Amino acid sequence: MDIYLPIAEVSVNAPILIALGAAVGFISGLFGIGGGFLMTPVLIFLGIPPVVAVASEANHVAASSTSGVISYTRRKAVDFRMGGVLAAGGAVGSFIGVEIFRWLRLLGQADLVVALSYLIFLGVIGALMLSESLTSILRQRRGAPPKRRKDRRPPWLYGLPFKMRFPRSRLYISVIPPLVLGVFVGILSAIMGVGGGFVLVPAMVYILRMPAGVVVGTSLFQIIITTSLTSVLQAGRNQTVDVVLATLLLIGGVLGAQVGARASSRFRAEELRALLALIVLAVGLRMGLGLFFTPAEPFVLMAGNG
Amino acid sequence: MPYAAPPETPPAAVSAALTTTNVRVTSSFRGARIVLYGAVFDPTAQPSDVVVIVRGPEAPLRMARKTRVAGVWVNSRPVVFEGAPGFYMAASTRPLGEIASFGTLRRLGAGVDHLAINAPLEERTETRYGVRDVVVSRLGQDYLDWRRAVVRLKEQSGLYAADEQGVTFVDRGLFKAEIDLPTAAPIGVYTAEIFLFQNGQPVSRRMRGLTVEKAGIERALYLFAHNRPWSYGLVSVAIALAAGWAASVVFRRN
Repeated sequence: MDIYLPIAEVSVNAPILIALGAAVGFISGLFGIGGGFLMTPVLIFLGIPPVVAVASEANHVAASSTSGVISYTRRKAVDFRMGGVLAAGGAVGSFIGVEIFRWLRLLGQADLVVALSYLIFLGVIGALMLSESLTSILRQRRGAPPKRRKDRRPPWLYGLPFKMRFPRSRLYISVIPPLVLGVFVGILSAIMGVGGGFVLVPAMVYILRMPAGVVVGTSLFQIIITTSLTSVLQAGRNQTVDVVLATLLLIGGVLGAQVGARASSRFRAEELRALLALIVLAVGLRMGLGLFFTPAEPFVLMAGNG
Repeated sequence: MPYAAPPETPPAAVSAALTTTNVRVTSSFRGARIVLYGAVFDPTAQPSDVVVIVRGPEAPLRMARKTRVAGVWVNSRPVVFEGAPGFYMAASTRPLGEIASFGTLRRLGAGVDHLAINAPLEERTETRYGVRDVVVSRLGQDYLDWRRAVVRLKEQSGLYAADEQGVTFVDRGLFKAEIDLPTAAPIGVYTAEIFLFQNGQPVSRRMRGLTVEKAGIERALYLFAHNRPWSYGLVSVAIALAAGWAASVVFRRN
């Protein structure tokens, strides 16, 4: 069953999009990521113009994150205060990111920067997560006691001013690191068309040292705010949000996210992280390695007139 | 003594009509096929050829070439091309090169090779060999590669087509041609030009119009997105948040 998308101006197969939305929604609920880093490349591959894919995807991520966050809230696994601080940074970051993206589009280098960001960020984060989670899985298999988590947090987290209490995360730290992290993720999400969970989750675990239990829910909460903002900004400035496309994706997405959020409690954290690391690594390599192969068609038509 | 006029032969003429003049793009739009019917009126029974040229709305387009920099393929500076119609189809009874001369085809813009696609921003005029105002393109020798790439990329998306046997005579003097609009066909006003060629010259010409427009809910959404972009954005986010909330409520009941 094909449906013509009014803004993207292409015809797509509706059941395939709903199934894709569900699959990405499941991953989103399972790992507490928006899933944009998976969906945006797939949409572009299906022939949807990249500008429309990036903008509509923000809308879909907002929907599946909302669906996921409500389940996490019931389990008291969301640190709203930390999420709010991150989102404040994220809002600033997405304004900056949208401007950077417009400027890159004018130069004709948006494709390159998108592909390189995927390769670098997904590649590095995927590799780090994979090695970390594999080591801990192997240690468990051998029956060795799990390595004690370093409770000592990096001193610079405490040396900075503007300290704030985050009771749910059992933290009393400066607001500067989460704000800076939020800005960085906001910029990244505008450029790559993602929610930024794949950066946020590891950063919350390894840099902010938040308890593992609240990381996923808090990340989803932050993602809702930034992607909603991005979605409205994209619609208002570029008219590139396709509501039909977003609706098709979110039908599957919200259901998938619910199933994913439930399934997450059945897996061990290390195994989940290893699986996510593999997915992240695969997408990063797929997007980035194309830069090194001789293209079959040396010329590319670019959307819009700049 | 009255001058005896020679017996008058009316000039050869061509006439044509489209089966559809208004293509409505709705949610089930998957491209459209339009049939053009026409007739040749020629008392002298000279060999005639018919050429049908369909053009869609024109918009400047940007193109970049991938070049290798330090092992990585990157886009060059984008070049803006003008004169490329959003849709172009040339159908004829025989290969265009057999119907008319290069110059005639170039003048009429008949055939993808004769489209006046150029990059005005890359051009400057200078005096060469004593000739003033020679147009020189900054793209230099590669200019033809670029131009060919515009046509090739458009052909790949089904927007440009040349069919050397696209016009067929179904009966004496009665011909037809099919126009296939892909899903990607741009919205706007199209023109279909029908030429009658005899002895390599266009002897008669007809012009027919065609509109491709969004209709129904597609049109409503498109207008909403463009006329009230901020409300549109807020509504789409509201739908997303409401759907997320609804799903979690439904799942809790289960």
